[in-house]
Amino acid sequence: MADDKSPRSAPPAGGPLVQAPGAATRRRAQRRVVALTGASSFVGQNLLGLLEEDEHIERVVVVDVKPPPGAGKKTRFYEVDLTQPTAEARLSELFAAEGASCLVHLAFYNSPSHASAYAHELESVGTMHLLVAARQARVQKLVMSSLTLLYGAHPSNPNFLGEHQPLRATRREPFFRDKIEAEAEAARFGERSDGAVVTVLRTAPIVGPTVKSFLTRYLSRRVVPTMMGFDPLLQFVHEVDAIAAFKLAVDRDVPGTFNIVGDGVLPLSTVIKLAGRVALPIPHPIAQPLGSLGWLAQLLPAPPTFVPYLRFLCVADGVRARDIMGFRPAYTTREALVDFVSAQRLRDVKLLEEA
Amino acid sequence: MDDPKPKPKAARKPSAAPPKPKAPKAPRKPRPKRPAASAEADTRSEALLEELEHRLDAIIGDHKLEPAVAPPPTPPPPTPPPPPDSTTVFDTARDMLTSDFYLRRWGRLAMRSRSEEVDDFGYDPTYDKRIKPFFDFLYERYFRVECRGISNVPRHGRCMLVANHSGTIPFDGPMLKTAVKREQPSVGRDVRWLAEDFVFHFPFLGSFESRIGAVRACQENAERLLRQEALVAVFPEGTKGIGKLFRDRYKLQRFGRGGFIRLALRTQTPIVPVAIVGAEETNPMLFRVESFSKLLGVPYVPVTPTFPLLGPLGLMPAPTKWKIVFGEPLDLGDYGPESENDEMLVSRLAETVRQSIQGLLDAAVRERKSVLFG
Repeated sequence: MADDKSPRSAPPAGGPLVQAPGAATRRRAQRRVVALTGASSFVGQNLLGLLEEDEHIERVVVVDVKPPPGAGKKTRFYEVDLTQPTAEARLSELFAAEGASCLVHLAFYNSPSHASAYAHELESVGTMHLLVAARQARVQKLVMSSLTLLYGAHPSNPNFLGEHQPLRATRREPFFRDKIEAEAEAARFGERSDGAVVTVLRTAPIVGPTVKSFLTRYLSRRVVPTMMGFDPLLQFVHEVDAIAAFKLAVDRDVPGTFNIVGDGVLPLSTVIKLAGRVALPIPHPIAQPLGSLGWLAQLLPAPPTFVPYLRFLCVADGVRARDIMGFRPAYTTREALVDFVSAQRLRDVKLLEEA
Repeated sequence: MDDPKPKPKAARKPSAAPPKPKAPKAPRKPRPKRPAASAEADTRSEALLEELEHRLDAIIGDHKLEPAVAPPPTPPPPTPPPPPDSTTVFDTARDMLTSDFYLRRWGRLAMRSRSEEVDDFGYDPTYDKRIKPFFDFLYERYFRVECRGISNVPRHGRCMLVANHSGTIPFDGPMLKTAVKREQPSVGRDVRWLAEDFVFHFPFLGSFESRIGAVRACQENAERLLRQEALVAVFPEGTKGIGKLFRDRYKLQRFGRGGFIRLALRTQTPIVPVAIVGAEETNPMLFRVESFSKLLGVPYVPVTPTFPLLGPLGLMPAPTKWKIVFGEPLDLGDYGPESENDEMLVSRLAETVRQSIQGLLDAAVRERKSVLFG
């Protein structure tokens, strides 16, 4: 455990984790209005808290289908369903009326869903509606979340994938396809609205004591299926770091795509051992049918299209986020995992209630 | 609350306290000020209050008791779990009945050969240390490697070792690593060699290779390694090299597209040509079968005098005598990093390196009398 890092703070505090890089910073003097979608998601919920505390932010406009948990005084909630065709007009009116200068788009599933049709409507079509509205209302800044998983796990990947690499995750999987389409929408938004700052943060799988996702469910099982003879290197980012990265992207105008990852990598076998689980190696030729069955029976947290991630590398390079954005993760991959595991162990023996 | 002494007393009192008022306590002080409206009701409520107070005291006392009494080494003996230091055979037996015991054992056993942290490319020092005796045996006893010109390998700073690639099952990467490690014991540099893609398609092989220090061959990986000032071994012949037929032994194949030269120019890395003699006879390949290579995910299926005949055992390398010769380093510092786009220069330099390795190979093969005994 490296103790020479900057002081670690409790989850909703991104402040001390970041240092000003200087050049890329253009802080706006006046108090801003930030629009936020996906405020009920893990990152959204925590980011909302951070935005509430920030004195440079006048108001947080939350667009969602249900009121965000833990909304404070600055938050103004509007019930808009992004999947509806009427959402566009409503959103553009709303953004203009509120004078939103920054849009944070986090309305994405962090785990594959069985309701893939709705997920498509929300992630792909919903992003289109949202960004068309934002362009009409002349929103000058977009921060969107994405995943490093979208690079896809291939044996031909370099060990560290840069942001310029194509998104090669399989399009057969709606979870990836919708997000790739959403990224394309964000790129289109950047092209068509001149001068707008578009920041896309591709986060590595987020782990930590409170976050829930398909990955934490996978690592919570006593027996964890793996692919026989394959031991890919994995990379995680701690939940605190991920939240801090989004706050940083809201605070600074840094156009571009950034990989938000923790330092270091761990082989899957070590991850499973640190988590105190037992690996169940499955020969990869039968993983596909078994995985389909398990997914259909809802026994597995992810469909068989995730099998390549248990075989091949999908590790992103965070150097660009460090150099340009000034993002310094406080937790390494290993520390993030250990933090997750310590909470998970308590959950295992029912000492920690689900929040 | 500071003094825990009176608390145990209160705790020992029966919960149903007598109605007789005791010495007035702090919370009851304001009560006497009020004139008694009805004496009976007052005593009853007073009794009730007292009882509550006692109960509260008992509860607080219980909690306070633990830290207050715990320090003296007189824990109540009748508690069911015995102190941890006096483990008997029964405890062990009981422990062994829990599934946790086996999980712990399993975890310890499994982590035994692994480091908790690996480097960027999955190199695992602990695993490498465990596997080292095997490679030492191969180096010393089996292939009886003779190493020459080790002083040409710089002791620090980035460097690229460019070698001929051979052997149906390539042992040249690990042997090169062992050679540098053993012949320069005071420096102890780890050679990272770049391995072909197909290695990483394979179950077991890919994870094994990356644990002992192989890295998938691509420009990004090599550049990252060199920027970390590593000692990188490249085999520009690639799959064509390990797929050489026996009759083509020690004839260097095409050197890719000169990617390693461009990399060396870009990162300003000196190049050390290396000739590995003996490795090309370990698995003399007579034919290559490429028809079901797609099915198996390998570039070709080798046919050696022993391979399909004896099954997997036939892939065992022959105990040839090896010689590893490190040539004079080639410094590319005179060319700027921008010269990597000069295609003529790149192909000329690639050819120079190829020639120098071929020269080293020819000289070493010529002076060799026997394949098996050197």
